[in-house]
Amino acid sequence: MRVLLVEDDNDVAATLKAALTADEHEVDHAADGEAGEAMALSGKYDVIVLDRMLPKKLGVAVVRDLREKGVSTPVLILSALHDEDHRIEGLNAGANDYLGKPFSTRELLARVRSLWHGRGREPLTRLQVGDLEMDLLARTVKRDGKKLDLQPREFRLLEYLMRHAGQTVTRKMLLENVWDYHFDPQTNVIDVHISRLRTKIDREFQQSLLHTVRGSGYRLEA
Amino acid sequence: MRSGLALLRTTTFRLALAQAGIVLAFVFALLLYVYLATVGQLEADSDLAADQEYTALQRAYSEGGIRRLSQEVSERTARQGPLLYVLAEGNGVVLVGDFQQLPSVPGEAEERLDFAFERFDDEGAPVRGRARGRIGRLLNGPILLVARDLGDNSAITSRITNALWTVALLGLALSVASGLMAAWLASRRVETLANTAREVMAGDLSRRAPMRGESDEFDALAEAMNAMLDRLEQLMQTTRTAGDAIAHDLRSPLTRFRQRLESALEAPPSSESDRAALRKAAEEADRLLDMFAGVLKLARVEASSNWTFLRIDASAVLRDLADFYQPAAEEQGLAFEAKIEADLALLGEPSLFAQAASNLIENAMKYTPEGGRVEMSARARPDGRIEINVSDNGPGIPPNERDRVLERFVRLEGARSSPGAGLGLSLVAAVARLHRGGLHLRDGLRQGERCGLGAALVLPAAQAARQ
Repeated sequence: MRVLLVEDDNDVAATLKAALTADEHEVDHAADGEAGEAMALSGKYDVIVLDRMLPKKLGVAVVRDLREKGVSTPVLILSALHDEDHRIEGLNAGANDYLGKPFSTRELLARVRSLWHGRGREPLTRLQVGDLEMDLLARTVKRDGKKLDLQPREFRLLEYLMRHAGQTVTRKMLLENVWDYHFDPQTNVIDVHISRLRTKIDREFQQSLLHTVRGSGYRLEA
Repeated sequence: MRSGLALLRTTTFRLALAQAGIVLAFVFALLLYVYLATVGQLEADSDLAADQEYTALQRAYSEGGIRRLSQEVSERTARQGPLLYVLAEGNGVVLVGDFQQLPSVPGEAEERLDFAFERFDDEGAPVRGRARGRIGRLLNGPILLVARDLGDNSAITSRITNALWTVALLGLALSVASGLMAAWLASRRVETLANTAREVMAGDLSRRAPMRGESDEFDALAEAMNAMLDRLEQLMQTTRTAGDAIAHDLRSPLTRFRQRLESALEAPPSSESDRAALRKAAEEADRLLDMFAGVLKLARVEASSNWTFLRIDASAVLRDLADFYQPAAEEQGLAFEAKIEADLALLGEPSLFAQAASNLIENAMKYTPEGGRVEMSARARPDGRIEINVSDNGPGIPPNERDRVLERFVRLEGARSSPGAGLGLSLVAAVARLHRGGLHLRDGLRQGERCGLGAALVLPAAQAARQ
């Protein structure tokens, strides 16, 4: 996967570049908004990671101009201003995700992968991971042909995990996308929800599908 | 103290002056009215009396000729009274009457006459006066004058006029004097307020504007100013306390952070123990960053900067939160129960509202030991407010310490060991203030001898949705 990293802080850029490279991505780096936009216009990148505060041109303006010029490459904005208003401003400008600084590298890697996988998907009516099937129209879940009884929220949680099957999803991603909460609960609330979901989908079966990724989050994988 | 000249420039004095002008204009109008009603009426009365006499004498002349007329005139002249008569030949020579001479010789037409005269009374003393009357030529030439002595009238007129002028001038003088007085009193009180402001600016934040207890507009101003100063002082105090608290609270995790790195550096290299030390250090760093994020958020909420308020379906948000926390609470060995009324709506910032409500739940969960109980409820109050109540049967907070908990960073001593930056309830209180509501701490659920904590977030409900 080719990643364009637009970040003016050289230390941060070097760390991120190393992490992305280690995660088997090809990384190009631009140090200001104008250079970043020029490189992004080539259209050869799969994901763009864009700092919000950039010299010459702000990240939000870069995204807006890219979208106006028809570049649909998924964009993740990084920002020290992790406020609701700024997040919404970034998403409205056309960014696909927004991550407030400070963030953990693992969080960033998980989101970059998720952006790439979620790109240009046809609307699905069915999801399948191993012998676990979800019918999005009938709102039913079956494993090995046996119907599982899920609460609406558990259904949404499982749907998100299935849409990102094979990828690590962080607690923060679940919190934002399944519950639409943009604050960090102090307690292990997400873990409890996951463990209840796990009971329902994994307990009676030989193979576990829902895995805990130590220190990062969870992964649904057959 | 203001100089006299400055006093003349005050608003109060200008207002008083304007008022004096109005009073003066009114006095002039009154003067005119009184003049017309008294002096004018007297003149009209004189004219009428003279006219009647003139007509009567005219009739006497047409009935009995010059003989009868001169007889009538002599009779009337002999009578005492305010009316004066003169009959003269066509050339102006007086035949009979009160005067020896005509004041003027009329032309063909009848005239109205206002003239000064001098005559002699019965004792032969000269009498000066003014008279007003009618003069004219009768058929075949004789001249007849009938007039009324205005002597009494002019005395009354000048007395009334003088009185009115005196009143007007006195009124003007009083107006100016009272204007100056009012301006002086007002500027003295303004000066007091300004002095307070100056002293506060000079750094004495505890100064307050004195109030007279007269509940006048200056007291109202002083009260508003004092309320503003209270808030200012409280904010300054909070900032100071927060500064101290941040310094204090940051020092321990930073020290631990440093120690872990240091001991990892000193120990012989071992990937296993290095990793453990690094993980611990990262956790400390996360805690520090969480704290900063919390402080920044709280500061932003307290600054009430431009948040976008939307209509929130509070019932739905709270039910979702209850569902969100229920499993974790049960896992923790707590009985969690939520009673949320339907159709609660309020105007607010959605993510702050959700966070405030979640802080209440987390706070209760954090301090309630295993086997305890947390109850959440939300209801519409008859006063048009929504009350969200989260009660627990944990250790509670003594009533005298409850206010203090809402200050930033305050965690009561016993709670020091639990994680959390002590910002949870302060943030709820700040969010409540932002939404013109309040956070009230009271007794929670009973647990034998002691009481848990009950936290009530009270927010104004939204008006009913437009159809």
